[in-house]
Amino acid sequence: MLVAADSTGKTRISSSKPPHSLWKEIVRARWSYLFIFPFYLTFLIFGLYSTLFSFYLSFTEWKGLGPIKFIGLKNYISLFKDKVFIQSMENGFLLFFMYVPLMIFLALVLAVILNSKHVRGFQFFRTIIFIPYIMNIVAAGFAFRLLLNQKYGVVNNLLTGIFNIAPIPWLESVWGGRVSLCLLIIWAWLGYNMVIMLAGLQTIPSELTEAAMIDGANPVQAFFYVTIPLMRPVILFSVVLSLMGSFNLFNEVYILTGGGSMNATITPFVDIFGQAFGNFRLGYASAMAYIYFIILFILTLFQVRYFGSRVD
Amino acid sequence: MFLNRLSRWLGDTLMYALLIGVCVFMIFPFLWMVITSLKNADEIFHIPMILIPAHPDLHAYIFLFQQYPIIRVTWNTFIIATLGTALSLFFCSLGGYTFAKFRFPGQEGLFSFLLGTMVIPGAVTLVPIYLIMRDLKWLDTILPLIIPGAASAFGIFFMRQYVSTISEDIMDAARMDGAGEFTIYWRIIVPMIAPGLTSLGLIFFMGAWNAVLGPLIYLKSPQNFTLPLVIRSMTGPVGRTVYDTQMAASVISIIPLLIIFLIFQRRFLEGIAAGAVKG
Amino acid sequence: MQSGALDAFKAQYPNVEIDYVETAPTDMYQKLPLALQAGTGAPDLACVESSHLAQIVALGGLADLTTQVQPYVSQMLASKWSDAILDGKYYAMPWDSGPVVFYYRRDVFAAAGLPTDPDSVSQLVATWDDYLNVCQTIMTKTGDDCFANNKANNYGRLYEMMLWQQGLGYYDATGKVTVDSAQNVATLEELKKFWDANLLSDQLEWTDGWYAELAAGGTTPVATVGPGTPVPPTVKPVASLVEASWMGAFLKGWIAPGTSGLWGVAQMPAMVAGQARSANDGGSNLVIPDQSQNKAAAWALTEWLLGRPDSQVAIFKASDFFPSLTTTYTDPIFNEPDPFFANQITRQAYIAAANIIPVGYVYGPNYSLMNKYVSTAIQKVATGAASAQDALTEAANSIRNDTGMP
Repeated sequence: MLVAADSTGKTRISSSKPPHSLWKEIVRARWSYLFIFPFYLTFLIFGLYSTLFSFYLSFTEWKGLGPIKFIGLKNYISLFKDKVFIQSMENGFLLFFMYVPLMIFLALVLAVILNSKHVRGFQFFRTIIFIPYIMNIVAAGFAFRLLLNQKYGVVNNLLTGIFNIAPIPWLESVWGGRVSLCLLIIWAWLGYNMVIMLAGLQTIPSELTEAAMIDGANPVQAFFYVTIPLMRPVILFSVVLSLMGSFNLFNEVYILTGGGSMNATITPFVDIFGQAFGNFRLGYASAMAYIYFIILFILTLFQVRYFGSRVD
Repeated sequence: MFLNRLSRWLGDTLMYALLIGVCVFMIFPFLWMVITSLKNADEIFHIPMILIPAHPDLHAYIFLFQQYPIIRVTWNTFIIATLGTALSLFFCSLGGYTFAKFRFPGQEGLFSFLLGTMVIPGAVTLVPIYLIMRDLKWLDTILPLIIPGAASAFGIFFMRQYVSTISEDIMDAARMDGAGEFTIYWRIIVPMIAPGLTSLGLIFFMGAWNAVLGPLIYLKSPQNFTLPLVIRSMTGPVGRTVYDTQMAASVISIIPLLIIFLIFQRRFLEGIAAGAVKG
Repeated sequence: MQSGALDAFKAQYPNVEIDYVETAPTDMYQKLPLALQAGTGAPDLACVESSHLAQIVALGGLADLTTQVQPYVSQMLASKWSDAILDGKYYAMPWDSGPVVFYYRRDVFAAAGLPTDPDSVSQLVATWDDYLNVCQTIMTKTGDDCFANNKANNYGRLYEMMLWQQGLGYYDATGKVTVDSAQNVATLEELKKFWDANLLSDQLEWTDGWYAELAAGGTTPVATVGPGTPVPPTVKPVASLVEASWMGAFLKGWIAPGTSGLWGVAQMPAMVAGQARSANDGGSNLVIPDQSQNKAAAWALTEWLLGRPDSQVAIFKASDFFPSLTTTYTDPIFNEPDPFFANQITRQAYIAAANIIPVGYVYGPNYSLMNKYVSTAIQKVATGAASAQDALTEAANSIRNDTGMP
């Protein structure tokens, strides 16, 4: 009985005797380690080490120059009293609920429409709707700023002209700022989510919806009772991605509202960045980042749990 | 019968209306960008609103090229995107291939560990990476923008999935012929995974081209800027935001990606879909 | 701008090459500290506003200029040095100050039946309560807004001036946070009276709308600096503006050149009759990062530009940035009438204001942070979301939390 073990570490022919030393295994697999080495070295330095160092920093007070002062849990205690940080977390939630349901629903509807056979121009529509995703957010943000300008922007001009509404302070007011931000995000990400939904839909055999419709359901019912449940994993993916997205908004915030009136549109990432690179409170910013990480993690778990347990 | 047809017609109309409406919403900001870049200063903030400029011209673009090192900046953006993508693709494909086709001690652990780290938000490593770059004296260079990103967990995951679909016979045959491992990778695997590399590469390229945070933190001298940074810098100095020049710069920053996207649409969308559905 | 002085310097020091780079303020305050921290990437010479100076000095990384500035300490306005000093060492050279004055539109005052000469106007607005009455008159008679003070996105600068003129600020001489003190609250409530009476324009400073109303009613449309944005003709002018002397140069130069002859300069209203009618807003300094390889040359340029009366005067002439170098005040340029201000000798007004600036506790190493919290508080009060006491208490506690100050 032959045992052929090659450099991939796989044994080819059956009835093998496992090599009797771990070291031999490692040596035999040396190419594997070599190949993953560049990746892992980079990851070790900029991923693992950085994460751990950040953890250490969160217990210190440091301006980036001079000695690092160890202060124990003081940063974390201060965080609980930090109104701006708390508000940034609230804003993250708020923004999430403001745009995610709408965007995902719209993405799904659009995907279903495009996926159905009798739409002409599928390529065209898909391309156009996806295009905003490839535009850099700075350019897009400034364009939106122009459009949403209270006095001279296209949007207000149209609204005033057609519906005779007073000019809305899109960027200057608390809720206007939030809505503007949501508009920008939906504009940028709708196409992306639609493409994801399309891919998901393509894994659902059309016989299922057809069967439902033969049983008497109309297309809308088929959509809600057949398509959506089957798309749950994809929807979950979008939702989780969007959750992280809404908490991580940064450029959009600065360009559109500069943080918003009374911090209405500040997100956790904006706050962390501001504390780190604006106030140079590196220790505090690290603590903030960790709390943020934990909260985000819990939320993600919660979402997976929630979506996973919905029985249909 | 007629009602059926009517309701279908209504349904169809609504459907197209929705599609077209969304398309208009998507295209309009970009259109406005282009239009504004061609307008005269007094037409930008005009009441009543001016849709089509009376004498569209390229003065904003000319001003842009005169006042800002746009060619250099575009080149910077291009270099960063290209080098970053190449490096990332190399690391991720090599790593992904290894995880897909090789068995070695600690494999499961190493990979799961990697996946686990995908949950950690970028905010956590923001400061330490900056400090590392500072100590390495890599500030104001392109290195911070291409190296940390090369270890993309998403990328290696994507590549592993992709490579695992390749049959191993060719690899075995090559090994029997005495080919070295790296040669196998370079000459056999890479050509075979070209479509996947293209998809992933496009995603990386776009990300790097449009990136703002990294360049914002690490690039200092104006001649080292990237396009998004230049656009961003055109706002705020005491005085007025030069909107038409800013829009001109915006248009310039978008056109290259637009062209690339339109050419490689299919691959790009495949990559996005693949990343999501498998994730 | 200071090209005249720069040229003279180059003539004197032909071996020194000067590379002048303009940076937006927001970018500057992000990049300079980062560069100082990083130990690389900072320019040889940087201009830092007084508001941010203490913070940058505290960060470390600036060259110690104590010996170099010694000859000039007594020649500069005393109030300029406090932000430049840390542990007894000097880290900056003062450039200009921002003595606060009362800019007003003579045409609007005339239309409201009010006197228009500076002395009378100064008497009219002797206190902020008097100013309130004047605003009422103007609103009733002309419908024009009195001045601009945005509600939802307020930057807090006017409030800071009001604190400064009373010798108050965000903290006191013992380092205690005073953001929620009775006097600070009362000051904010005084400002609130103007909002409540609907006498103010809601334009945010340094935005197009703000420029528009400053330039409105002029004889020609607003000038533009390169490609820019002009003004539709239906904007009403704003009657007044409490701001530092550098504002005059801006109005003249690029914001409202078409309104030449329509402005006047009077004294800033006092909080309480008899108190100081001036404060400081802004002003800049030159600093030399310690990492610079050309410190001697940098200092030579600094000294040339800011230590010599003739250079400061030349800069002043070109820019109207009010020099902190008191030895310049005897220069005849300070007696020139200014046609933009209907031939008023405005510079004397600036000197008068500069000489009575009290010591204020607004700037300092934690200025950005304090300003941010207090601005949010002002926004809440202005939009009616909170009372002055509550908003300021919240801000004060946040500041205490963040800085550890009592």
